[in-house]
Amino acid sequence: MKMNRRNFIKTAAAGSSWLLTLNQLKGVELLPAARAAVAGTNLSRLEARYYDRLPDREIKCRLCPRFCQLGDKERGFCGVRENQDGKYYTLVYGQAASYNIDPIEKKPLFHFLPGAMAFSIATAGCNVACKFCQNWEISQMRPEQVKSRHLPPEVVAETAASYNCPVIAYTYSEPVIFYEYMYDTSLQARRKNLRNAVITNGFINPEPLAELIEAVEAIKIDLKAFNQDFYTNYVRGELNPVLESIKQIARSKVWLEIVYLVIPTLNDKPEEIRQMARWLAAEIGPDYPLHFSRFQPMYLIKNLPPTPVSTLERLRDIALQEGLHYVYLGNIPGHPGENTYCPNCGQPVIERYGYTIKKINLSGNKCRHCQQVIPGVWS
Amino acid sequence: MNKSRVVILRSQSAWAANGRPDPAAMLRMFRRGLEVLTGSSLAEDGLRQIFYPEENIGLKISTIGRRAISTYPETAMTLGLWLAKTFGREDKIIIWDRTNEELKDAGYRLSRSAGSLKILGTDTPGIGYGPEPVVNRSVASLFSKIQAELIQASISLALLKDHGLAGITGGLKNYFGAIHNPNKYHDSNCDPYIADLFETDLIRKKHRLTILDALRVQYHRGPSYHPQWNDHSNKLVFGLDPVAVDTVGWKLVEDLRARKGLPSLEEEKRQPAYLKTAEDLGLGQSRLENIEIREEEV
Repeated sequence: MKMNRRNFIKTAAAGSSWLLTLNQLKGVELLPAARAAVAGTNLSRLEARYYDRLPDREIKCRLCPRFCQLGDKERGFCGVRENQDGKYYTLVYGQAASYNIDPIEKKPLFHFLPGAMAFSIATAGCNVACKFCQNWEISQMRPEQVKSRHLPPEVVAETAASYNCPVIAYTYSEPVIFYEYMYDTSLQARRKNLRNAVITNGFINPEPLAELIEAVEAIKIDLKAFNQDFYTNYVRGELNPVLESIKQIARSKVWLEIVYLVIPTLNDKPEEIRQMARWLAAEIGPDYPLHFSRFQPMYLIKNLPPTPVSTLERLRDIALQEGLHYVYLGNIPGHPGENTYCPNCGQPVIERYGYTIKKINLSGNKCRHCQQVIPGVWS
Repeated sequence: MNKSRVVILRSQSAWAANGRPDPAAMLRMFRRGLEVLTGSSLAEDGLRQIFYPEENIGLKISTIGRRAISTYPETAMTLGLWLAKTFGREDKIIIWDRTNEELKDAGYRLSRSAGSLKILGTDTPGIGYGPEPVVNRSVASLFSKIQAELIQASISLALLKDHGLAGITGGLKNYFGAIHNPNKYHDSNCDPYIADLFETDLIRKKHRLTILDALRVQYHRGPSYHPQWNDHSNKLVFGLDPVAVDTVGWKLVEDLRARKGLPSLEEEKRQPAYLKTAEDLGLGQSRLENIEIREEEV
């Protein structure tokens, strides 16, 4: 089978994900306001958080490090927050452009409720513009350019619970840009004893991140590279704020995992990976998982091949040499690098195949072989 | 080197008693503008130098400012009907922008009727954007199918405005309304994005004429409407060189700012550097010494 983008996604998702159709959301009663919204436009109009009003009906957004300053009728870089007559609105509150049930391993989160299903939602929009984006059909769109369904926070939580999903994941596009929707949904989730996982680029300011940390249980950060040039040329973002977010999360009670998509020739220099691993070990310690993911050509980078497995293995070895305890390889189903190994005795404590858990050798939070504590959220 | 000609027409009778542009005055200005621009003694002959009869012609207008500050329907409709009369078919002329809602808010009545001018937004059901991004240098965007498929020739009938990021917005930046993701291209004073976008085949090969609507000019705090900084300039600016027209538009904005005691765009560190970038790409002239400005009262 030719491995184009469509086939790749199909392969990756096979057997491990259930696409929800609108009809499958039966039994979930939409609120009157939601019904009204569904009948009308697919743009919401809720006043956004984290912005300053400026003279002459201008505003300055404080949600992410772009600090977009906008005149009347203008939208931020994200495309989903708009100045309307000097007041700033989110246009995507409750407007899910994608919703799905995924294994938590697909995010990937490997030390957070292994085997759990995550009710996963996203809206249109993103605050960066990665040339290798896997979900550009929603992330690089404005909300009026995608189909969406009005799923207000209480409906998301209700739906997740009704499908026995213990986790709600904010993912696919970039949840920072639907901050208000994510935050309110996370509060609804907690009322139903559900957990919240945020899959983000980490390009967010410290103040909104601090508040978010109080409302969620896990955050996975996509660290796109360990140099600013890559962020400038392929992401249109900044590295330093992402590193600051990583440190801020590591200081909190929220579980953190980091994913690094390895793109051949662009961000796969061994020396840079070594620097990154050293930085992680020094700044947040060796116990937060680091995932090296295999690149597949897509969106604007179709001229590069998939990452050689040997490259991924070499980078994993470097990160382990630098003292990180949990270094994984992703998008290579069946590779031993998918497993969790005890850093003390070296025995596998969680064995995986793709997104499937094959075996768990944990007793509580300890290695069943040697009683070493394995950090994570296991129950 | 041949200088690029830019024509500025000024009319004291541009406005009707209702405070809207007077269509008869608009037609006089369009006709004279084309005569001076092309050197034809008959304006319609000037049009025939620029467009082929079989072409569908798009008039890309600006309606993001809704009723307060958009291309006036009187202006766009007059131009559209004149083109239609010249080339014999109304339905070969498409007046368009991003969304039907913005068009309606700006005072346009949508139309897809056979035999009449078409007035529609990209979000009209059945139109939309192309499926794959078109990539050129720094930009990667889905294009409106109106620009990509429905027209063969294009006029940028743009408003001249100060722009808080780009410096000024005119005929070049007007094409941000032809792509799905203009919000991604406002970094670094929209430079090089405005030039890179215009350089795409779908725009550069179809663009034939720029007409800047400078009847009223937002010379400060744009592109939003602020009446205290909005001047009745009563001008239309014509050019075949899209960079030269915007360069002259920049001069008009600077002249207004100077007259009103405001700092220059350069002093505010937001001069439209994208014009020089556009010149470097071979899209036109960005230096006034290479532009022949012809100014007339109509």
